[in-house]
Amino acid sequence: MNELQFKALLPYSLLATASIIVILLIAFRRNHFMIQVVGFLLMCGVIFALVQVRPLLPVAIPPLFQIDGFALLFTGLIIGSVAIVGLFSYIYFEAREENPKEYYILLFLSTLGSAILAISNHFVSFFLGLEILSVSLYGLIAYLRNRNHAVEAGMKYLVLAALTSAFLLFGMALVYMDTGTMSFPEIAQKLSAGGGSSVLFVMGMGFIVVAVGFKLALVPFHLWAADVYQGAPVPVTAFIATVSKIGVFAILLRFSLDVNLQNFPLAIDIFAIIAIASMIIGNLLALRQANLKRLLAYSSIAHLGYLLVAFLPGNMAGVEAAVFYLLAYSITLLSAFGIITMLSTRKKDADDVEIYRGLFWKKPLMALVLTIALLSLAGIPLTAGFIAKFYVLGAGIQSQLVLPVIVLVVTSVIGLYYYLRVISVMFAAPVPAEAWEKTVSPLFYNSTYIALVILALALVALGVFPGLVVEDIRTLLTVR
Amino acid sequence: MGITQILFWFLTALVLGSALMVIFSKNPVHSVLWLIVTFFCISGHYILLNAQFLAIVNVIVYAGAIMVLFLFVVMLMNLNAETEPQKNKWLKFAGAIAGSCLLLVLVAALKDTDAMRQEVLMKTGDIGLIHNLGMVLFRDYLLPFEISSVLFLSAMVGTVVIGKKGD
Amino acid sequence: MTINHYIFLSVALFCIGIVGVLTRRNAIVIFMSVELMLNAVNILLVAFSKMHYLAAKIINPATQAGIEGQLFVFFIMVVAAAEVSVGLAIIVMMYRNIHSVDVNFLNRLKH
Repeated sequence: MNELQFKALLPYSLLATASIIVILLIAFRRNHFMIQVVGFLLMCGVIFALVQVRPLLPVAIPPLFQIDGFALLFTGLIIGSVAIVGLFSYIYFEAREENPKEYYILLFLSTLGSAILAISNHFVSFFLGLEILSVSLYGLIAYLRNRNHAVEAGMKYLVLAALTSAFLLFGMALVYMDTGTMSFPEIAQKLSAGGGSSVLFVMGMGFIVVAVGFKLALVPFHLWAADVYQGAPVPVTAFIATVSKIGVFAILLRFSLDVNLQNFPLAIDIFAIIAIASMIIGNLLALRQANLKRLLAYSSIAHLGYLLVAFLPGNMAGVEAAVFYLLAYSITLLSAFGIITMLSTRKKDADDVEIYRGLFWKKPLMALVLTIALLSLAGIPLTAGFIAKFYVLGAGIQSQLVLPVIVLVVTSVIGLYYYLRVISVMFAAPVPAEAWEKTVSPLFYNSTYIALVILALALVALGVFPGLVVEDIRTLLTVR
Repeated sequence: MGITQILFWFLTALVLGSALMVIFSKNPVHSVLWLIVTFFCISGHYILLNAQFLAIVNVIVYAGAIMVLFLFVVMLMNLNAETEPQKNKWLKFAGAIAGSCLLLVLVAALKDTDAMRQEVLMKTGDIGLIHNLGMVLFRDYLLPFEISSVLFLSAMVGTVVIGKKGD
Repeated sequence: MTINHYIFLSVALFCIGIVGVLTRRNAIVIFMSVELMLNAVNILLVAFSKMHYLAAKIINPATQAGIEGQLFVFFIMVVAAAEVSVGLAIIVMMYRNIHSVDVNFLNRLKH
C-alpha cells in the first residue's frame, strides 16, 4: 500500500479509530456527556478528512476498494446521518438511565461497516462490510435488553439477517463460478467478453437480490421492517432507516453500474417488479397504521421502491436522482425520528399517533418540524421530497419506464392520505394530558432542538433551491 | 470407480444424512452432535480437494469452537429434553414443501448449463496449501484481514453488551 | 469428479438448511440450520476454486487462479464465528426474558 492509498483511506481509518477512542474513554471515565461530545467531534473530524481527501481522488486500492467521488458522496451522507443520530441518542438514553456508553462503540462500528460498503468493489469487502454492519446492528437493536420488544426485534433481525447472508454468499458463489473472479471490474470484463446472459450469473444475481432486498426492506423481503422499527430504540431505528440503507444501496448501485446490469433484461425486470411491489404494498400497509414508527417503516419501504425507479435506468441521470433522493430521504427521516426521540419518555417511546394529538398547540415548533418532514415524505412542493421525486420521475421518463412511473405517481397520491392524517391529528384540539416530563439535559435538549430546526430548514431550502447541491453532486459523480 | 470416487460418494452420503439428522432430531443436543459429524465430513471433502488449510480450520473453528459454544448454550438452558410440542403440522409440511421446491428449481435450472461438465482438480494442486494462501492473504488481502478484526471487535462488544447480567 | 457433483451436493445441503429454518421453532436449531447453509456455500466455493485453478493451469502451470475462492471461505468462517457469538448471546437473552427459545413466542409486536 503506498502513501496515496493510505491518505485516501484516512477517513475510514479515522472512523475505525473513533470506536477505539470511545472504548478507551469508557475505560478511563464512564461519562456519557464526554463520550457524546468526543464522538460528535470525531464524526466532524471524519467529514473534515473527507473534504481533505477530495482532491486526491480517484484512488484505487486493488483488489478490494475504489475510493472515488461516488464513494465520497455516500460516505459523506452516512457520516452526516450518524452525527445526527448520535446527537439524538444522548437525550434518549440519558432519560432511560440505562448504561449507554457501549452504544456509541457499536454505533461507530456499524457506521464503519456501512462506509466500507460505499467504497468496496469486491465480493470479499462487500461481505465483510455487510457483516460488520449487521453484527453491530444485532447489538444495537437488542440494546435495551430488558424490554421484551427489544429481544423480539433483535431475534427477528438476527435470524433473517443470518439467513439472507447465506443467500448472498450462495449468489456470490454462483457469480464466481460463472466469471472466475470476485472483483466487480473483472466480472464486468468477463461478462462482456462472454456475451449474452448466462443462467448462472442471472441466478447468482437473484440470490444477491434476496440479501440486498432484505437489507433495504423491499417487498417481498420486508416482513421484518415494521417489527424491528417498532422494537428497536428510536435512534437505532433512525440508524437502520438511513445509514444501513444508504450503505447497501451504494454497493448495489456500484455493482450494477460496474457490470452494466442493463445488459441483463431479466435482472432489470426483477428489480422493476420489486420496485412496483414495494411502492404499492408499502403504501397500502401504511394506510391503517396507528403507530408512527410502524407507519414510517412502511413508508420507508415505499420510498425505497421509489428509489429503485431511479436505479432502473442505470445511467448518470438515474444515479444523480438516486443520490439526491437519498439525501432528501435521510434528512426527512432524521427529522421525523428526532421528534419521536424528543417526545419519548422514560417508560414509552412516543410511537402512538394519539400522543401527537394537539401537539401544535403545546409545542408549535416541534409540530412544525414534523409537519415539514411528513410533507416532504409525501412529496408536497416546496419541500426536498418533491424535488427528489421529481428528479426520479424525470430519470424514469427519460428511459421510458412507463409502468414504474405510473405506479410511482399513483402510490404517491395514496401516500398523501396517511401523512395528512398524522398532520391533522397534530393540529386537532388538544386533549388535556398529563404534563410533559421534564428534560434531563437542557444543553442536549436544546442542541437537538436546534439540529431539528436546521434539518427542517434544510428540507425547505433544498425544496426551493435544489441547485445548491445538484451541481456538486454532479461534479463529484464524474470523479470515477 | 477409483478410490477418490468411492470416498466422494461415501462422504456425500454421510454429509447429507447427518445434515438431515440435524434438522429432524427432536433433541437439540443430538442436533449439535450430528452437526459436528457433518462438519467433519465436510472437512473430508476439503481434504479430497486438497484444501488442507481450510480442512484444518474447519475442524478447529466450526467443529471445535462454534459447536462447543452451541453445546454450551444448550446445556446452559437445560434444553436436552424434547421441548418442542408437535403443534401446527401443516406449517411444517409447508416448510418442507417450500424447501424441496427450491431444490427442484435450482437443480432444474443448473442441470443443463454447459459449464457443468468442467472437471474439478482433486487430490493435487497446491493453491490450498497454507504457504500459498498465506502469501496472498497477507499481501493482497491484508486490508480485509484487518477489517475482519474490526468485525470481531464489534462482535465482542455486542456479545458483552447483550450477555451481561441485568443491572 | 465434475463440478456438477459438487453443485448438487451443495444445493442439497443448502435446501436442507432452508427446510430446517422453515420447520423448526427452536431458535438454536434454526441457527444451526443457517450454519449448514453457510457450509454448503463453503463447499461450493472450494470446488469452484479448484475448477478455475484446473482451467487456468492448462495454460499456465504456475498459476494461482482460484485462490481467492479459498480465501473467501476463510473470511466466511471468520464471519460465521463472530455471528454465532452474538447470535447465541441474543438467544440467551431471549431465554432469560421469556424462559423459552421457541420463536413462536415472539409475537408481541403487533400493529
